[in-house]
Amino acid sequence: MLNRSLNDFGLHPIAGYLLSIPAFVGLSLYLFIKTDLAEYLYLLMAISLILKLSQTTRNDFLKSCFAHKTYYQIRLIENAIIASPFLIFLLYRNCLTAAASLTIVLVTSAFLNFEHKFRFTLPTPFFKRPFEFIAGFRKAFYVFFFAYFLTFMSVTAGNFNLGIFALILVFLICFTFYTNPENEFYVWVYSINSKGFLFCKTKTALLFSTILSMPIVVVLVIFFPANIAAILAFQALGYIYLITVVLAKYSAFPDQMNLPQGFLLAFSLWLPPLLLGIIPLLYLRAVKRLNEILE
Amino acid sequence: MITVENLAKSFGTLEVLKKINLTFEKGRVYGIVGENGSGKTTLFRCIAGLEKYNGTIRSDFDKLKNHLGFLQTEPYFFSKITGGEYLRLFCNARNIRENNFDVKNIFDLPLNQYAVTYSTGMKKKLALTAILLQNNAVFILDEPFNGVDIQSNILITEIIHQLKSMDKTIIISSHIFSTLSDTCDEIHLLAEGVFVKRVFKDDFSKLEREMKDITIGNKIEKLGLN
Repeated sequence: MLNRSLNDFGLHPIAGYLLSIPAFVGLSLYLFIKTDLAEYLYLLMAISLILKLSQTTRNDFLKSCFAHKTYYQIRLIENAIIASPFLIFLLYRNCLTAAASLTIVLVTSAFLNFEHKFRFTLPTPFFKRPFEFIAGFRKAFYVFFFAYFLTFMSVTAGNFNLGIFALILVFLICFTFYTNPENEFYVWVYSINSKGFLFCKTKTALLFSTILSMPIVVVLVIFFPANIAAILAFQALGYIYLITVVLAKYSAFPDQMNLPQGFLLAFSLWLPPLLLGIIPLLYLRAVKRLNEILE
Repeated sequence: MITVENLAKSFGTLEVLKKINLTFEKGRVYGIVGENGSGKTTLFRCIAGLEKYNGTIRSDFDKLKNHLGFLQTEPYFFSKITGGEYLRLFCNARNIRENNFDVKNIFDLPLNQYAVTYSTGMKKKLALTAILLQNNAVFILDEPFNGVDIQSNILITEIIHQLKSMDKTIIISSHIFSTLSDTCDEIHLLAEGVFVKRVFKDDFSKLEREMKDITIGNKIEKLGLN
C-alpha cells in the first residue's frame, strides 16, 4: 500500500524510503530542540500510528486470511516496523521510560482490536460549510488542543517561540485537510464555475483557520505585545501558504498532489517570495483542471 | 428534454457505449435495464458530464449538470461527516438555503450520526434525500432500490410518481423489474453498449417474461440440483 502511494506520488519506493530517513531524523531533532515536551509528543505520535493498525474490520480480514499464529506474527511485525524509528530515536535521546512504554504498547496492541466507528459525534463550529474542516478537525482535534496547551505553556514559561510553534502547528494541520483529493462527484455537484469554486474553498479555508488559530493569536498578542508584528506576520504567512495548498490540491485534481506540486510547495517554503509566481501558476492550473468537471 | 445522439464511450480498447441515440422528455420516467457491465452506469456518467465521450448530449439547460440530481450506485461518503452535514454540503453546492433538515428527513435517518456508519440502504436514502433537497429538474437514479427496506421502497416509488407529476425527467436503472414496472413510462434494454429494445408500459409484463426466458434458459438444469 505504501509502495503504491509512493508510486502515485511519482517517487520510486526505494527513493521514498531513503528520503524519509533524513526527513524523519531532521523533524525529530527539530522537535526535541524546540520543546521539552517532545518526548511525550513523540510517544503520542508513535502510539497513534500503531493504534491505527488495530482497526477491527482490517484485522478481521487478516484473521480470515491467515492462521491464528501467523496473524499475531504479522500484527507484531507491523507494529514493530511502525514503532522502530521512534524507538531508535527515543533510545538515542536516552528517553528510556518512553521507549519502554512504546515497547509495551507495541506488543499489547497486537492482541487488541478497536472499533474506530464511534457513535459519538464530535461537534464542530464548522457545520455550515462541509467538509474539509469538519472532517479534519474531528480527525485531529487532539492536536489543536495540544497546540492550545503549548500556547498556555509558552505564556507560563515566557517562551514566545513556543507560542509561535503552536501557531505554525495549527496551520500545518489545516494544510493536511487539503492534501487528499475528494471524490470528483463532490466537485461536480457544485453549480458554480471554477473560479467561484476556488474562491468558495479558499474563503472557507481562511475563515475556519482563523477560528482555529485566533485563540493562539489573541493570547500571544496579550502576553507578548512587543512581538505583535511577528505574530501577525506568521498568521499572514499561514494564510498565504493555506491558499497555496488549496490551489495546489486543485491544480492536480482529481489526482493527488504529486512531485510537481510538492516541489512548488517546497520551493515556496525555502524562498517565500517565490509565492508571487507560484500562486498565480497554481491558480491557472487549478482553474483548468476544474473546468473539466464544472464547465 | 435531453437528447443523446451517437453517444460512444470506450475505455482503452473496450467499447462500452456504441453510438447510442435516445431522448428523455419532461414529465416522463425512463427505465434502463441491462446486465452488469452493459454500460448503464457509463451512460449515466456521460449524461452527468462525469465522463468524456464522443457524440452529443443536448438539453434545455445551459449546463445540464447544474439541474441534475445523480444518485450513484454506491454513493461515496467522507469519514467523520454526519448525515446532516452531507445534506448541508449538497444544499450549499446548489446555493439552497435549507436549515430544517429534520422536517425533510422523510426516511427518519439519524442525521447526527456519521454517514459512513450507515447501512447500505440508509446511505442510499441519505444520498437520495440530498439530491431531492436540491430541487433538481432531472434525476438519474442508479439502483435507487438497492439495499433499501420495503417501507422505503414504497416511499421511493411514491417520490418518483410525485416528481413525474411535477414535470421532472427521471431516469432509473434497477435490477428489480417490479420497481421499474411500478414507476416507468418506458423501459430501454441496453445490451453490449447498444439499446436493443424500447418497451412501453403495456408491454412491460411481456418484456419481463422475455428477460426471464433469456436469462434463465436451461441454466438451472445445467446446475443439476437434486
